[in-house]
Amino acid sequence: MSEPAVEVKNLTKIFSPDLSKNHIVAVDNLSFEVAAGEVYGLIGPNGSGKSTTMKVVLGLMAASKGSAKVFGYDSGDIRARNETGFLPENPYFYKHLSGEETLKFYGKLCGLKGSELKDRIAELLKLVDLEGAAKRRLGGYSKGMLQRIGLAQTLIQNPRLVILDEPTAGVDPVGSRQIRDLILKLKEDGFTVFLCSHLLEQVQEVCDRVGIIFKGRMRREGTLDELIQIESQTAMTLENASPELMGKIHDLISSDAAAKMIEEGHPRTTLERLFIQIADQNKKEESA
Amino acid sequence: MNEPTTTLQSPAREVPVFSISRVWTLAISTLTQLVRMKTFYFLFAFAVLLLAVGNFNFASSPAQALSTVKKVSFGAMDLFAWLFAIVATALLIPRDIEDRTLYTILSKPVRRIEYLLGKLCGVLIVIGISLSVMFVVCAGMIQWKELGYIADEIGDTTPEQLTEDTRQAILLIQKNGFHPELAIAALASFMKAAVVASVTILLSTFASSSLFTIIVSVLVFLVGHAHTMATNFWLAETDNSIVTQTLLKLFKIIIPNFQIFSFSEGIVQGAAVAPSAIWQMGGLTGAYLVVFMLLSLLTFVDKEF
Repeated sequence: MSEPAVEVKNLTKIFSPDLSKNHIVAVDNLSFEVAAGEVYGLIGPNGSGKSTTMKVVLGLMAASKGSAKVFGYDSGDIRARNETGFLPENPYFYKHLSGEETLKFYGKLCGLKGSELKDRIAELLKLVDLEGAAKRRLGGYSKGMLQRIGLAQTLIQNPRLVILDEPTAGVDPVGSRQIRDLILKLKEDGFTVFLCSHLLEQVQEVCDRVGIIFKGRMRREGTLDELIQIESQTAMTLENASPELMGKIHDLISSDAAAKMIEEGHPRTTLERLFIQIADQNKKEESA
Repeated sequence: MNEPTTTLQSPAREVPVFSISRVWTLAISTLTQLVRMKTFYFLFAFAVLLLAVGNFNFASSPAQALSTVKKVSFGAMDLFAWLFAIVATALLIPRDIEDRTLYTILSKPVRRIEYLLGKLCGVLIVIGISLSVMFVVCAGMIQWKELGYIADEIGDTTPEQLTEDTRQAILLIQKNGFHPELAIAALASFMKAAVVASVTILLSTFASSSLFTIIVSVLVFLVGHAHTMATNFWLAETDNSIVTQTLLKLFKIIIPNFQIFSFSEGIVQGAAVAPSAIWQMGGLTGAYLVVFMLLSLLTFVDKEF
């Protein structure tokens, strides 16, 4: 197995807001690993310690105890940040710069220049579908566009690790789907993605493994299948099942003393899928 | 754990420990930010002030009029430089922290000292450009007025017909007119602004608000003009208690001596300048910048965001 992309060991972060004895333990002896090439989701409610963990991994905060490493480098090391791209929860960029200038700024900070930088900017603007808005200042961008230009700056130096903090916060379902598709593409392209979110459906759609954190402690961790399957239940989805067939199935179930029918009905789509379906239909009608 | 089936991204290329290029990128970004905040509109106000002073007939003689134009314009340049250094520097870093732009910058391979230096250089580039433009405008105005006054004195007479009184009057006008040494006065304003900007950066690395930073920076600037007074107290040790002496010594160590730049007032009034004063000014400015930037780094390096 290759070196882990992120290795957090016994991480504890304690805040002392008023220099008194009232300490706040934001992260409590947390340990986990993110393998290179996987999409790992850290989920938990607000205030559970997700962002603090992320900031320690990014070197924006120091650990009170324990350690955080990125591809073997201590998180405070500049080489760790060289391997990392970060998209914060809300896009925090200079509003006086255009999309293209923003990418140029972050690219230069990562040591890119000349035609390499120019080509990379063009490639990323295409990837996030912002070629048409490249010259527009960020002050005039919608939240979804800001999130996408943010994702582009995250990838500017081709980092091995991409850290996303609530990547679809405040973005409408269509924009949210675009970002989700981009995350899946990143996985295909061999990037490691570490994301924090409290949007469980989104995490379920993109993550290989998930860690559930509450009050700074890891409560459950594993692959998505391991976490969400209910071992004692089995689901069947039938198409064009006749009433006679259904009757036979019911008879079989009732003939087994231990088995019990829990739920029966027509499967439902999610509200998000329905919304996107309508939006797509609307788009097609407009273009027709 | 899932083993990836795709080809993984390759490791990043090496990053230099310290990069002038990153400092320059941050400086140019700061410059762009200040330009797009329409900072240079101040230059129009300066040009209007200069025109108003130059054309207002308040002096009893041409020499006095030229002297007044110089004093007002160089005074305005000096005021702009130090005030802008304080306000711009005090606003830029806290704004990056509040807007959390700092998150995305510091999560790139950027050292914190590079960030601080980039911000300082950006502010100083704006001040440098502004002072240069103001100096050129001011020099043009003084020379134009000087030539006009000399032409008035000479009138229709030929050089051979000039009286001794007229010759003396022309010499007096020339003495109060434009001299290349005035550039040193502008340089002194720039250096003073650089020191005050580095003090402001230090304050903004730990201050809780921009207002606090601005107020304390202005106070440090004003108090920094009282070094001679503090030295006099210090020398007369027998007159003061140990507490007073200790406070005065601390004052002299902590507060930069802005009086080293005050010889520029003499230059504006036509006095000669000793090269040693310029070297002393340059040396002390460099020393202050190094000390205040190192102190800023000490407080900023472990700051958590």
